[in-house]
Amino acid sequence: MSRRDFSERDIHMALDGELPGDERTAYEAWLEANAEMKAKSARYAADRAALRAAFNGVLDEPVPVRLSKVVQGEAPVVRAAPSRSRWWLAAAAAAILVIGGAGGYLAGIGRLGLENTAEDQLAEEAIAAHVIYAAEKRHAVEVPASDKDHLQSWLSNQVGLKLVAPDLAAQGFQLVGGRLLPAGQGKAAMLLYEDDKGERISLFVTAESAAKAKGTYGSEEDGPAAVYWLDKGYGCAVVGSLPRERLAAVAKSAYGQLLAGLQS
Amino acid sequence: MDEKKAAILGEIPRLRRYARSLLRDRDSADDLVQDCLERALVRLDNWQTGESPRRWLFTIMHHLFIDQMRKVNRRGEAAMLPLEASEAQAAPAEQVESIASREIVDALQAISPDRRAALVMVAIEGFSYAEAANILGVPAGTLMSRIARGREELRALLDDTARRRSIRIV
Repeated sequence: MSRRDFSERDIHMALDGELPGDERTAYEAWLEANAEMKAKSARYAADRAALRAAFNGVLDEPVPVRLSKVVQGEAPVVRAAPSRSRWWLAAAAAAILVIGGAGGYLAGIGRLGLENTAEDQLAEEAIAAHVIYAAEKRHAVEVPASDKDHLQSWLSNQVGLKLVAPDLAAQGFQLVGGRLLPAGQGKAAMLLYEDDKGERISLFVTAESAAKAKGTYGSEEDGPAAVYWLDKGYGCAVVGSLPRERLAAVAKSAYGQLLAGLQS
Repeated sequence: MDEKKAAILGEIPRLRRYARSLLRDRDSADDLVQDCLERALVRLDNWQTGESPRRWLFTIMHHLFIDQMRKVNRRGEAAMLPLEASEAQAAPAEQVESIASREIVDALQAISPDRRAALVMVAIEGFSYAEAANILGVPAGTLMSRIARGREELRALLDDTARRRSIRIV
C-alpha cells in the first residue's frame, strides 16, 4: 500500500469515487486524525446530497411533448414556439445583474438572437390575421366570394401581384371572401375559406420577399399552424388548425394554383 | 422509429435535469434541451454506434450552453461577481421548493458557469472525471480544479446565506 500525504484534493476525489481503492483505508485513517478535514468532507457530502435531492425530481417529470416531438417528428422543418432558441436570454438576463458595468452589454442585447427571420415574420403575421378574422362571424371578410372578380382584381392591384383565388373544392373548402391587411412595410391579401363543418383556413399572400424558404410554423400545440413559402417577389402562407397532413395537402393545392395564377 | 432515436428519447430526462441545474428556469432549460435535440438529429450520422448516447448528447448540450455564456461574458467585459442569486434571478422558479433546496439551487446559479457545469456533471450526473473532462473538453486537471473551486464557492455562499439568515433572526 502506498503511503502518501493526503490533502483537500483527496476529499473531492474520495467523494467522487476517484480515489484508488488501495488508498482508501489510508485516506480514512487520515480523515479520522484530522478533524478539520473530516468536517469539510462531511459538509461537501451533505451539499452533494442536497444538490441531488434538489434536481432529482426533474427525472420524474413527464417529458414535454415538444421535446419528444423533436425526436419523433417526421417533418424536419417544423418550427416551435418563437421563444425557442432564446433559452440563454434567461441566462443573459440573470447574468446582466451579475456583471458589473454592463452598459455596453445592454446596447447589444437587442441583437442577440432576437432577429426575426423573414419566414418567421410572414408566418406570424399570417397566423395573427387568421386568429383575428377567421373567428369573426359577420365581419370575417371585406369582399365576399359572391363578388369574386372584384375581390381578385382589387387585391391584385393593392398587393401588386396577379392574384387568382385558388379553387379548393377538392379539399372540401369554399371561398368565403378576402380582405386587405398590412404586412411588414407593405400589404398582404388574405383569402378565407370554409368547409361544410365550418372549419376555416386562410391564405396570406404578400409581394414582399427577398428570401427563399419554405416550411411549417406552429406556435402552440393546439393553435393554428402555417405552411409557408417565400420566393423572390412573393410570400404565401396557408393557416389553419387542421391536422398537419390535411393542411399540407390544402397548402400544396393552393400553392400550385397561386403560382399558376401569378405566372398567367 | 429507429434505435438511435429511441436511445435519444431515453436520455431526455437526464438532459432536462442537467439543463435545469445550469439554467434553473424550467422553460429556458427545456429550450436548451430542444436546441440540443435538434442539433443532435441533424448530426445523427456523426454519432458512432457503440458510443454512449448520453455522452454524445451531453457534449452537444454543453457546447450550446458554454458558447452562449461566453457571448454573454464577452459583452459584459467583466468578471462574474457572486451576487446573491435570488437577486440575479430574472424568472422565479415555479415549483415549490424547500428553503434548503432553494438555497442550494440559488447558490449553484451564483457560481461561474464553468465550475457549475463541472460540479453538476460529476456530483449530480455521476460522470467519472475522465468522462466529464471529455464532455467538457478540458484536461482532467482543469476539471478537478473546477470541481474543487466550485464546491468551495458553493459552500461559502451557503455559509454566507446561513449567516445572514441568523442575523435577520437576531
